[in-house]
Amino acid sequence: MLRYIVKRIIGVIPTLIIVVTFVFFFVRMIPGDPARLVAGPQATLEDVEVIREELGLNEPIPKQYVEYVTGLLHGDLGDSLRTKRPVALEVSLRYMNTVKLTVFSLVWSVIVGVLLGVWSGKHRSKWQDYTGMTLAISGISMPSFWIGFLLIMVFAVNLNWFPTTGADSWKSFVLPGIALGTSIAAIIARFTRSSIIEVMKEDYIRTARAKGLREKTVIWKHAFRNAMISVVTVVGLQFGFLLGGSVVTESVFAFPGLGSLLVESVNYRDYNAIQSLILIFSLHFIVINLVVDILYALLNPEIKLS
Amino acid sequence: MAKDKVLTEKTDVNTPFKDFVRKFKKQKTALVALAFIIMLVILSFISYQIAPYGINEYDYTAIMQGPSAAHWFGTDEFGRDLFSRIICGTRISLSVGLFSVSIAAICGTVLGLLGGYYGGFLDSCIMRVCDVLFAFPGIILAIAIIAILGSGMTNVVIAVAVFSTPTFARLVRSTTLATKGNVFVQAAKNIGDSDARILFRHILPSAIPNIIVQYTMSIGTSILTASSLSFLGMGAQPPTPEWGLLLSNGRTYMMTSWHITLFPGLAIFFTVLCFNLLGDGLRDALDPKLSD
Repeated sequence: MLRYIVKRIIGVIPTLIIVVTFVFFFVRMIPGDPARLVAGPQATLEDVEVIREELGLNEPIPKQYVEYVTGLLHGDLGDSLRTKRPVALEVSLRYMNTVKLTVFSLVWSVIVGVLLGVWSGKHRSKWQDYTGMTLAISGISMPSFWIGFLLIMVFAVNLNWFPTTGADSWKSFVLPGIALGTSIAAIIARFTRSSIIEVMKEDYIRTARAKGLREKTVIWKHAFRNAMISVVTVVGLQFGFLLGGSVVTESVFAFPGLGSLLVESVNYRDYNAIQSLILIFSLHFIVINLVVDILYALLNPEIKLS
Repeated sequence: MAKDKVLTEKTDVNTPFKDFVRKFKKQKTALVALAFIIMLVILSFISYQIAPYGINEYDYTAIMQGPSAAHWFGTDEFGRDLFSRIICGTRISLSVGLFSVSIAAICGTVLGLLGGYYGGFLDSCIMRVCDVLFAFPGIILAIAIIAILGSGMTNVVIAVAVFSTPTFARLVRSTTLATKGNVFVQAAKNIGDSDARILFRHILPSAIPNIIVQYTMSIGTSILTASSLSFLGMGAQPPTPEWGLLLSNGRTYMMTSWHITLFPGLAIFFTVLCFNLLGDGLRDALDPKLSD
């Protein structure tokens, strides 16, 4: 087991290196002169020179690369062109908000998604199944920003239960969390349903029933546990969608997180911030996928054989 | 030899394709969804002719009106008819979805076939690139690409195509790996078929069903992503009647005019829902595990 974990961790290293390299070349791939683009059409030649210096574009590429990687290893992400403060500082101010938001969304969507999936799966082809799966496919097809607006209109504007923007109290997390988690809950529900249906065909379920176990025990102790093994992988993959979805949802709610920071940075052409945020998002995604893979191996004894 | 093959395929009544059509016809929801998609496609061609008002027809006497007999979906802050703008937006969303996913499907299929068939260094390279593209959450990658190329619908199409490509590449690669050991591939090799012919005439057909399902599902996702990007101001620019942009415009007036945000969202929801239902139906018709 330990060997598998070590092997998986080592396997991630090449991807990490390529991702860092990609992000490094990111600013340098902008067609034309990035410094001129950042400075804007009215900027003087001196201004452009200053920005070129700030972006570190004067040095030869290999030297820039080494400096960039050394900086990263020291936690130095460069300065934001917009606020003139270190990007690391900007990120740290908002980091926990996004973490709280995504974790909250993931927790509720896993609970709701799994329950809905089990409910649909065990009543296969009955009204419960149709209701559950109609809800699920609707959840997948709705744009999250639209859900966000509907929630704001009903619960913030009309009922005044929750604030429309900000991240000041737990109340601020409820509406964005719901908007962000809906499609994830729907995906998890669909997946749970099909793996429950798959598991229910197994011999050990027939044995459990033949033993005269109550249906509740059959579902939760036998079917559910085995169905969960594959659901874990899907939940892990959804984390990527959560990180991506946070960009849109945070913009709807003017929520001070990393996603809205990314949008602001793109609108301002703050390339230092953009490249750092893209790196942060993908590093989280890689690490989460790694954790999920390992978790999956721990849960599923079959994988050890291969 | 080749002639014989065609003959047997034609005389065999139980070809996988006919099997698939028979099963697909049982998927009532998917058939309805397909009918709606066909209607949307037709609408996208004739929307400008049938729209009751022009998409940029200002009417300052009818600003921000709610739905009425004259304006079914109400009007926006310039008195433009929202219904006309939304039905004209069909063309934009559908073409973004179709273009981006078609590019992704073609590129991904070719890469998957090459990687799976030749293996070795080429395969490692292709799969490594896919890994890296998979290391970014989809929309983040799209935003990165737009940050490089600039905003606009063409760049949205490119961005969505880039992040959808690896899915197709992996899908086709795995089918290629499973198929290339078959006797018929060996036979084609022995009679001296070129590699291109083997790849496209003998291996590709077995990947087609999976590609079709993935294609349909991806269109829904790509329409959602494109509208999200427009919503964020990175896609279509005003006064284009793109649905995501209409929605984003509505947020300013959310407190007073709910209809400006409600209807464009419904349009996106309905279109994506149709593609997802169709994709589900196609998958169920193709998946032998669910056929009982």
